[in-house]
Amino acid sequence: MNTFPFALYLVASVSYAVHFARRSESAGRIATVTLVLAALTHAFVIGMQTMQVGHIPFVGTTGAVSAFVCLLALAYLYSEMMTDERAMGVFVVPLMALLQVIPAITNSVAERPPSLDSPWFAVHVLALLCAYASFALACVVGVTYVLLFKELKAKHLGFFYARLPSLQVLDQMNSRAVSVGWFFLTLGLVVGTVWLLQVQSNTTDPRIQAMSLLDPKIFIVLLCWVVYSFALYARRSIGWSGRRAALLSTFGFTVLLLNFVPVSYFVTQSHNFY
Amino acid sequence: MKLILLGASHHSAPVGLRERIDFSRRGVPEALSVLSEISDITEVAVLSTCNRSEIYAMCSNPVSVGQVLVSFMSSYHDVPESELAPHIYIRHDTDAVRHLFRTAAGLDSLLVGEPQILGQVKDAYTTASQHQCTGALLNRLFHWSFAVGKRVRSETGIGEGAVSVSYAAISLARKIFGSLKERNVLLIGAGEMAELTATHLRSQEVHQIRVASRTAARAAALAAKVDGETVPWENITTQLTSADIIVTATGSTTPIVTRRDIDVVMQPRRDRPLFIMDIGLPRDVEPSSGDIEQVFLYNIDDLRSIVQENLTRRQSQLDSGELLVEEEVDRFVIWLRSRAAIPTVVALRRRFESIRSSELSRLEPKLASLSPESRQRVDEVTRLLVEKLLLAPTEHLKSINDQEMVAAYADALNHLFNLPDKSSDNDAEKRPRLIPPVARSPRTR
Repeated sequence: MNTFPFALYLVASVSYAVHFARRSESAGRIATVTLVLAALTHAFVIGMQTMQVGHIPFVGTTGAVSAFVCLLALAYLYSEMMTDERAMGVFVVPLMALLQVIPAITNSVAERPPSLDSPWFAVHVLALLCAYASFALACVVGVTYVLLFKELKAKHLGFFYARLPSLQVLDQMNSRAVSVGWFFLTLGLVVGTVWLLQVQSNTTDPRIQAMSLLDPKIFIVLLCWVVYSFALYARRSIGWSGRRAALLSTFGFTVLLLNFVPVSYFVTQSHNFY
Repeated sequence: MKLILLGASHHSAPVGLRERIDFSRRGVPEALSVLSEISDITEVAVLSTCNRSEIYAMCSNPVSVGQVLVSFMSSYHDVPESELAPHIYIRHDTDAVRHLFRTAAGLDSLLVGEPQILGQVKDAYTTASQHQCTGALLNRLFHWSFAVGKRVRSETGIGEGAVSVSYAAISLARKIFGSLKERNVLLIGAGEMAELTATHLRSQEVHQIRVASRTAARAAALAAKVDGETVPWENITTQLTSADIIVTATGSTTPIVTRRDIDVVMQPRRDRPLFIMDIGLPRDVEPSSGDIEQVFLYNIDDLRSIVQENLTRRQSQLDSGELLVEEEVDRFVIWLRSRAAIPTVVALRRRFESIRSSELSRLEPKLASLSPESRQRVDEVTRLLVEKLLLAPTEHLKSINDQEMVAAYADALNHLFNLPDKSSDNDAEKRPRLIPPVARSPRTR
């Protein structure tokens, strides 16, 4: 079922690329409509899977990736509507298509162990996925900021100068996305800790027993929290905005992405519910 | 009826002559009223800009009208014909259509892609239309040219990128800051370039403009012009701190603003960007200041090279623009040629309708016994029969692009169906056509 949204994300990616390269308004409109359709179809697929298994399919990396892509699509569409700016699409939407390959290939919903049957767990996963979606947006905006910054500094105004919004707008978008992401990340971590304290003593599930600060997944996500907390602190107190803030958010998301896919699949002992 | 264009532009005439034949000096309506008196001209419009003076007219004999228009230009503007003639160009039909489309698209402009010309073409049409000087063909031609102008601009990059130094500077500022409404500007020097840039900045509704000049009176004069305030020359370094955009344009031989000054300024600003336009020669700002994070320093050569790049880019879009224009010219010509068949189609339909009506009248005694519903049905069936018989020939005639072929078909139809030679429409003569009238076909619609 995840193949349909994948195909739509792919079409939207191509349309955003055409819009960006040729600055074609009609391609831009097609891109947005296709992405809206992709997000709706994706939400419908997740809804069907929820009906099928009786819980939201967050468990396991595949389910989490699928939900993340859907949330990222919604977050991006929200920012597109708010800023009336489609130029970012070419950077964000291909990421959605790329990640959606995983659920499209796997196409199965992981069974939820009884130990995860808690509303705390749902809040924990949803909050973290929202955080990841925001950080992904911040990262993309950060990359585009750096590209435009380089052109302006090199005094060679070309491709990005003609297509991207101003540095100021990009910096504001980055700042907002990092703030929202940090809020959800903190919420997700706090809720996860509370839930862990509740269940750890009552279960023999080795994956839950392995949840500690030394587990790679937990360690790296805490590192990310430190990076993003520093980014917020640096912006407010040291005056780091612009390129430095953009690079920080890009670095933070690169680490998160590594944590999200390879670490989840191959390294962690605690979060491998697939 | 044929389309004729006669005019002179920056391509054909020197500025001195262009000034003398500028229609706007005496007013375009007055020229229109004289032109519309010329007997062979049925429709006319005058396009007058600082770079071109052109007359578009519909007439039946373009050769003689061309001569008349040259004489008109000469006498109206009081320029000897011998002096005027070498600088005048005359275009007919398709070439004239192409010329108008290229002009509206900005392809024929001095500054390729400049946007004002489309508005000027619209004004020319509006004026002619308001003075009842346009008819079906010029109406269609000018409206078509507006669409071509928009299409070329939206589908090519012909109108993109700043092509003047001061506008390039504003575009840069907007790319850094977005809206300039909350930005403070400091002008150091009060020369011509500083004034031009400040005027552009004021039009962007910047928050505040401060002017510093070694000559206090010049600073005050410029400040008054751009709704700004003056600051003492000695206080420049302290003023740097509150500025987001600094424009320097002094004649100083040593830098007015040093890297050290900018370092000091950037400490409290942290990562808030600072845009410096150094348009003075020699440069007023120490070049290494541009290495500081979030300082965007552009000197006059940088701005000029941006302008040059934009101009080159516009030139590179010329071919795409020309292709689009050619496509539209073809479409327009097809539309025109489809009009050439219209009189024949109308005559044919009238012929068939008259046969149908006369046959129904002849059969009237026999049909009298039928009920009103049945008579109505007979009427409807015969009408449908005629419609269906004529459908294929009508569509075929309208789709013929070849002018001679249309004439041949029209001739054949005239003979076969004994179509009338002259139109019975009284207003037929007022409806001009670009294509020569089809032989012996009525000139309706």
